[in-house]
Amino acid sequence: MDEVFESMQRALSDGQAVVLATVAGTRGSTPRRAGARMLLRADGSFCGTIGGGCGEAEVRLEAQDVHRDGRARLVQVDLTNEIDGDDKICGGVMDVFVERIAPPDVRQ
Amino acid sequence: MSRNDFAGILAEVVEAREGGAGVVVATVIAAPPDGAVSVGAKLLLRRDGSTVGSLSGGPLEAAVVADAGEAFRRHAVETLFYASDGARLTRRGAEAESGAYQVMLEPHEPPATLLIVGGGHIGKALATIGDLCGFSVAVIDDRPEYANKERFPEADRVVCGDFAEALREFPIDDNTYVVTVTRGHKHDEVSLREVVRRGGAAYVGMIGSKRRVGAVLQHLLEDGLDPDAVGRVHTPIGLDIGAETPEEIAVAIMAEVIQVRRGGSGRPMQEVKKARRGVPPAERVEMEEEG
Repeated sequence: MDEVFESMQRALSDGQAVVLATVAGTRGSTPRRAGARMLLRADGSFCGTIGGGCGEAEVRLEAQDVHRDGRARLVQVDLTNEIDGDDKICGGVMDVFVERIAPPDVRQ
Repeated sequence: MSRNDFAGILAEVVEAREGGAGVVVATVIAAPPDGAVSVGAKLLLRRDGSTVGSLSGGPLEAAVVADAGEAFRRHAVETLFYASDGARLTRRGAEAESGAYQVMLEPHEPPATLLIVGGGHIGKALATIGDLCGFSVAVIDDRPEYANKERFPEADRVVCGDFAEALREFPIDDNTYVVTVTRGHKHDEVSLREVVRRGGAAYVGMIGSKRRVGAVLQHLLEDGLDPDAVGRVHTPIGLDIGAETPEEIAVAIMAEVIQVRRGGSGRPMQEVKKARRGVPPAERVEMEEEG
């Protein structure tokens, strides 16, 4: 099985919530296609990739908010503005869905 | 939706990715503020049509369930847009309408199997490329010096044995792509007969010149095999890229396999752009070019 789901299962069985970021759709040129996934743990560590670079860094920041407030959200990552010294060279837009996945409630 | 619904969905997703029947998870990823269904709601759909979780059971859920079959077929994550009454919208239509839902459909299934019949030069190159493309690679050959783990370290399964017998035993389903590249036409024919007789594969391709593959197909028809199934065999195999070497031929074959799997046109990208405007919005989202 792939790394992302394996780590997700491990974290959840340890009782730790994780944040999952999934590329839901893309327009124009993007480093990865819909279905690319990245898993982010509460301590800031992560595995998988949605393409690296600034776009991914943006999603990592957003993931920390999702860890805190638990509210799933759709993040639009705009790679169209090329700024000096920036590596957003792809020129497309990615819709990334970021959601918190909590371990099952064992008391129920 | 309760945490335990999520846990149930996740457990089935993990099982499906490890080797189960395949499921589709529909997630509401954008919703109107006053909508009946909220962002994050999930529904898991099994191949038999049964479900876990809920998108509140209204018209949106009914529409999503109806569209999920397409996701099973396309093997790719896609996002669809809906009005609150379940009517499908284009992305542009959804942006114009404030009350639109955005639903992500994710198929979860075991990796597709690339079943390589024949462990020669082309089979070897195909195993490498197939593995690189994320396929679970399986190789069948009747010669022990070709059908072994040392020659095919990237293969998940290597079967040494009589072609027809090995193919009778090998699990073949609509996530299996069978490529026949044995050392001779007799072996190709024997193998193809077995694969076509069993049916159910996502792709069946056989190497050979037009003249020789024509003879093989004729024999299968004379044997009384289903003409439709015989007609679906991709042969001569691969896309026309002028491939010469075994490695190049493997690329041409893999390109055709991917084309069948993802539903591409097989045409140069520079010619494809205009055609995209004519395809339905759900497919267009997936067809957006890659960087």
